[in-house]
Formats: sequence, C-alpha cells, structure tokens
Amino acid sequence: MNPVIVTNNLSKWYGNVLGLSDVSLKIEPGITGILGPNGAGKSTFLKLITGQIKANIGTVTINGKKIRNNYTLFSMIGFCPEQDSFYEEMTGWKFVASLLKLFHFSAKEIEERAEKALEIVELTKDKDRVIRSYSRGMRQRLKVAQAIAHEPEIIILDEPLNGLDPLGRRKIIRLIKEYSSEGKTIIVSSHVLPEIEAMTRKIVLIHQGKVFAQGDIHYIRDLIETHPHIISIKCSNPRELASKFIHEDYVLSVHFDSEQDSLLVETRNRDKFFALLPPLFVNFKIEVQEITSPDDNLQAVFDYLVGK
Amino acid sequence: MTIKEKGYTHWEGRLKNGKFPWWPITRYGIKLTFKKKFFKFFFFGTLLPALVYLVGIYVSERLEDFKSMVRESPALLNINPGYFKSYFTNDFLLFMMVMILVFAGGGLISDDLKYNSLQLYFSRPLRKKDYFFGKASVLVFFLLIVTLIPGLILFIFKLIFSGSFKFFVSYPWLPISVIGYSFLVTAFFSFYALLISSLSKNRRYVAILIFSTYVFSDILFGIFYGIYKSPYFSLLSLKVNLQQVGAFIFNQKMQYSVSWIYSFLVLAGVCVLAGFTLKKRIRGVEVVK
Amino acid sequence: MAEKKARTFRYFLSSIGEVFSVFFSLGKAARKTKFFFFVSFLPVIIALVIKLIQVFSEQTTLSGIFIFSNIVMVLYLQFLILVLALFFGTSVCSEEVEGKTLTYLTTRPISKSSIILGKYAAYTVLIILMVAIGLVFSFLILNLNNLLNFRLYKILLRYMFVLVLGLICYTSFFTFLGTFLKKSVLFGLVFGFGWESVIQYFPGSTQKFAIVHYLKSLLPVSSGRRFSFLLFQLEPSSVGTSIFMLFLITAVFLGLACLLFFLKEYIFEDQ
Repeated sequence: MNPVIVTNNLSKWYGNVLGLSDVSLKIEPGITGILGPNGAGKSTFLKLITGQIKANIGTVTINGKKIRNNYTLFSMIGFCPEQDSFYEEMTGWKFVASLLKLFHFSAKEIEERAEKALEIVELTKDKDRVIRSYSRGMRQRLKVAQAIAHEPEIIILDEPLNGLDPLGRRKIIRLIKEYSSEGKTIIVSSHVLPEIEAMTRKIVLIHQGKVFAQGDIHYIRDLIETHPHIISIKCSNPRELASKFIHEDYVLSVHFDSEQDSLLVETRNRDKFFALLPPLFVNFKIEVQEITSPDDNLQAVFDYLVGK
Repeated sequence: MTIKEKGYTHWEGRLKNGKFPWWPITRYGIKLTFKKKFFKFFFFGTLLPALVYLVGIYVSERLEDFKSMVRESPALLNINPGYFKSYFTNDFLLFMMVMILVFAGGGLISDDLKYNSLQLYFSRPLRKKDYFFGKASVLVFFLLIVTLIPGLILFIFKLIFSGSFKFFVSYPWLPISVIGYSFLVTAFFSFYALLISSLSKNRRYVAILIFSTYVFSDILFGIFYGIYKSPYFSLLSLKVNLQQVGAFIFNQKMQYSVSWIYSFLVLAGVCVLAGFTLKKRIRGVEVVK
Repeated sequence: MAEKKARTFRYFLSSIGEVFSVFFSLGKAARKTKFFFFVSFLPVIIALVIKLIQVFSEQTTLSGIFIFSNIVMVLYLQFLILVLALFFGTSVCSEEVEGKTLTYLTTRPISKSSIILGKYAAYTVLIILMVAIGLVFSFLILNLNNLLNFRLYKILLRYMFVLVLGLICYTSFFTFLGTFLKKSVLFGLVFGFGWESVIQYFPGSTQKFAIVHYLKSLLPVSSGRRFSFLLFQLEPSSVGTSIFMLFLITAVFLGLACLLFFLKEYIFEDQ
C-alpha cells in the first residue's frame, strides 16, 4: 500500500523545549495509533501533519504534497483537535453547518451532511442547544462531528475519547473502525493504552519527542528481547505444572500466588513455552482456568520502552 | 445530608488567624505582572514625571547655575504644595496609572472567572476579603510606587537640596497630604479596576473597558461643559474628580467651582458600587445543607 | 491558464464571502456585539439628554446641527470609532487564538487570507451598522425641529462617510496589530489614544502620520466657537489626498495582516 502521509526528519522546538525530534514515518491507509504519555509530542506531531505549526527541520507530505499553507489538501482531511474550544454561542447544528459552509457546499448539501454527522455522533436531539450548555461528552462528540461531516479521506483525531463515558467511547471506536474498513486513513492519538489497543494493532510510540517504536504491537513486543515475557497460568495444581517445565532453559523464573492458585512464569521464548503447555495439561490432567500474558499489551510494551 | 456541587468543596475547617493569608495571591500577582513583556519598560516610563519633577526641584535650588536656561520668572519653579499637587494630578501620570491598571489589573479577576479558579481559591482557608485584599494589593503595590514613593522622595529631596527644614516648617502637613492623596487615588483605582475586571471573563474586554470608561467620562464632561458651561458637569469626569479632591488635599484652588465633597462622593460611590458588585460576582463553591 | 487563475480568484472571493457570512451571523448574535451596540448608542442618550435640557429650559443658544457636528467630532471620531475598531479589529485574529478556535478555520480548504479578509469584512460591517444607526438617531433627535431642512442631511451623509472611512481604516490597522502582537489591545490603546491624540497637533507634515488627520481633513470646517480646539492646529490635506491615503493605509495594513497570518504560527497558551 502506498503511504498517504510521509514525514522526513520532522523536528520541532518551542524555544528551547524540544517538541519533536527527527520523526520519519510513513502512514498508510487504515488506523494508526499514536501513543505516548502527556507531553510526549503526540499533539505536536498531529499539528505538524495538519500544517497548524511549522516544522523547524524536516518535511510533511500528504499524497505527495506539502501540507503547510496548502489549504487545498484540507478538503480531504478532517481534524479533531485536542483542545475543548468552540464558538460557545453557536448551537451544535450551527457549528457544524458553519464549518461545512467553508467547504463551499451548497445549502442543501450542508444541511444533509450536518444532519448525518450529528446523527452519527448522536447529537441530533441536542443540535439546537447552545454549545455552552453541552456536557463534556457532548462537546467531544461535536468535535468528532465537525471532523467527519465533509466525509474526508484522512481523519486525524487528537485524543478523541477524552471525556466520553464507556458507551460513548465504544461508539466512537466502532465508528473509527467502520471508516477504516472503507479504506480511509485514520490517525488516532491517545495516552490511554487500552483504547488504542481496542482500535488498532498499528502503533507509533512517542516519548520525549522521539519515536520509540513503530509497527504491530506484537511485533514490537517480540523485538524487546532483553525483557522476558511473563505468562500467568491459573490452574488446579500450579506446583505440579511448574515441576514439569522448570528444567527448560528458556524458563527464567516461576512465582507462585497461593491465594489465586496461579503461577507467573518468566520466559525468554514465549512461542516455545506456549507449544509446551497443552501436552502437559492433557498428560497430567491439570485443569486450566486461565492463561494470560499480563505484559503482552501496550502498557507493558510502553513501560519497557520508556524504562519504567 | 449535605449536598455539594461537584468539584472542589468549600473549606469548612477552622480558619486559623494567620497573619497574611492574602499574601501569596499578591506575591504571585506581582510576579506574573512583571513577567509580561513590555511591562517593565512601560512601568519605568510611568516614573518619568517623578524624574522631571525631581530635576525641577534641583533646578529651583540652583537657579543661579541655570539662569541661562530659565529665562522666565523663577516663580515657574516655585516649590510649594502646588508643585506637589501638579505632580500628583497631572494628566500624564493619571493616564499612565490607568495603563498600569490595564496591564496589571485586567486579568486579575476576569482570568479567575474564565478558568473557573474561584473554586480553587475558596477550597483553601481563604475568606472572600482575603481574596479581594490579595488581588487589590497587586494594584496597590504598583500604584503606590508611582505615587507615594515619588511624592515622599520629592519632599525629602527638597529638604536635602535646600539644606534646611524651612520647607517642612512652612508646610508641615505636606507629607500627610502626599500620603493621604496617594492612598486615595490608589484605593479608587484599585476598586475601579477590580470592579471592571469582575464584569467579564474576557481580558480584552476588560482592558478596553478600564481604559475607555475613564476616557469616556472625561469626554462626556467636555461635551456638557462645552455646551452648558456648568462646573457641576465636572462630576462626570473621573479624572477631574481626582484633580478636584487633590486640589483640596494639597490646599490649592480648585479648577472648577464645585465643592470637593461632591467629587469625593462620586469617587466613593464608585468604590461602594465596586464593593457590592465584587461581593455578588465572586462566589466560591456553593454548599447547600 | 487565465481561466485557472480566474477560477482561483473566484474561489478566493467566494471563500471570503463564506467566512464573512459565518462571522457576520455569529457576530450579530454575540453578547459582545450587544454590549458594544449599547456603547454605540451612548451618543444617542447624550443627544437625548441635551435635547430634553433644551426643551425644558428653553435654551436655544446652540443649534442642533452645531451640537451634532461637535458630538460627532469629539465622541465618535476621537473615542467611539477607536474603541469599536480596536475591539473588533484585534478580535479578527486574537479571539481565534485566545479561544483556541483557530484550528477549525485553518483546517478548512480556504486560504488564510480569506479568513482574515472575511472576518475583517464581517466585523467592519457590523460596527459600521452600529455607528450608522447611532449617528442617524443622534442627528434626528438633535435636529427634531429642523428635519425638513434637506441641507442638513448632506452634512449627516458627509459625517457618515467620514466615520465609515475611519472605521474601515482603523479596523484594518487593528486587524494587523491583532495578527502581529499578543498584547494588541494595549498597543492599540497607546496608538489610538496616545499617538493619534498627540501627533495630530504637531505642525507641518508630522500630523500626516495620524489617521485622524485625514479624517478631520474630510470634515466640513465647523464654525469654531467653543469647540474650535478640535480643529486646533489642523493643516488639512485635500479631499482627494485624504481619501486616497485612507484607502492606501487600509490596503497596506490588510495586506500585512494577511501576510503575517500566512507566515506566522500561532501557539495556543497551554502549549
């Protein structure tokens, strides 16, 4: 697949403070998660790729064209900013419709698109209320609505799930996945790791302005050879099970949790260990309740990479 | 059962009799104002009149040396209470004091209203009057630096340059007038700025309002006085009211034949209005029991 | 190629029109507009007070048109249009940056210049309407017993023309200030009530560095008397020169505002 957004050596300073350093990425269609703690440089990165700020070094191109001051590209880009700011005296409807006006749509098109966008984010009932009276969740959904109303090819969402309740979050995640299945390019930033995990496997990890890792989350995890995998097994007889594999050289340590009847195994080779387990369960008639990999998720990957 | 608004809850603990609970507000406000670009340059520009008047005092004591420059009658540099009154009530100084209010006072309360910070203040052991006093003290600090301190310095340097206490003996009440008028004009401007700052969450509005209300009152006076020539229209102008009261305090002839008491009442009225408005606008978290 | 350029220019004009339409509509309903509408009605209240005093005291020493001419001069020219232009002109850019809504505009397929020009046009039209309505009402009130004298309407139209030009020019300057400086209001106050007030009284060509000089040059010379200080030291420029200079100043500052807005990046406060 041809990359849609390409950044080369992208760097940004705010005075003496480094915002982003030497970021070179190729973002393809589908959902890409930009992950990092607060202050990592995620918003800086998104602002650079939407041309809101100038890069000190490096370039950003979208479909081969530079983005900075190239307003023609915005007909196919939808951006949901992080900040909670609106024209407070407008109604929700007026807000979306006014911004659609700037796309030079006809009045009829504006009405249809605004209605559709507000329906998607479930704000139809409250569309005629002033934004000032909206709750935090409604304001967040309104921001998403203005980003999708013109049906862009590229949707960039900066912390879109902030302030949403669990149901709202699920709906937006589902919406994002739907757009991805239509072949759109979606970039989502967040510091809430399970949210990103629920949306995509393609992630870019940013910390202190630098890209720590990029790619499939499992692939990244496997790359971290210095950090063994941890696997938790809840079963009827953990000590007996442990005795069967303790001699393997890729098993580094075993910890028993007597309260939970489980054991935590630290292994250097996850695949080999998983291949070993089923025959052990069957041959020694060990009842297994649960097998999980506590660190095989984004939080663990992130923690390892930032050295916590 | 106590029903509390979501967010911070009002301080319900005992308030200690701490000496200066408002001091952190003042200290931070002053620090923040000095951080603003151009403020330092502007603020020191406000001290120019003081410098000019100080030079005038020096020249008056050395008239022989400056004979070639001072061709006019030496009465021009007659240092008396009128000289001090003309320093304190000159248009430039009053204008610059209003500009200090715009710089330092514009965001004092309006920013707290904008960012909903009042809850943060009142969830600490802080009373409303500590909050007001803390905020007002930021303005008092800057305004006294351009009024009280130069006024006292001018008086002291007059004694030093003249080499005797004759000036003090002739006008023993003058230092009291300097202190009294400095505090009067400072108190008025502080109330005025806080009143306007509490009216809006938008700092730009507030800045324009502070300035334009002052200017408009003077223009209004100019229009009505120009048409009707009645001195009572001077009560419309904040600037003229300050000058009238200043003339009384320094025992000088008033420019308009209106009793200084009326001018004082107008200024006091603005302060009272400010007090009521601030009391209404500044609310911490409301606790309904 | 020419057609492509025309299409682009047509698109540019159309973008300005869309921005104008959005912000005129938003501005009309905004709280700040209601407040400043009241402010622009202060001369009407003053005119009413003067008229009532005249009626009850039966004082007729000064004609309505004379008072009107001098209220216009003092209040509108040296105060009201400055305050309105300062607030709305600086708002063109500053309110988007302070309110952090700039992103919504700069992520639309419209040029940055069209944002500035569209907002400028919307706010200028709003304040022109405010001033015009107040001016007409003041005129009618003060000349209540002389309304059939059509010569007076020529004077009204001339004052209206001068104030409209003043608003267009000052708003363009303050728009430029708003794109350029963070503390644009402070500098605007110093310019409007400091520089403009002082320089206009300087002799020779120096006074030509004040916008108000060209505006005053377009006014009919008043019969002086008590308000002659308003035209004190005025060495007027010709009508043609004044109109040309006012439009030139407008074009230059709008051009600079567009250029700065295009080149500058605006960082929101919490970044």
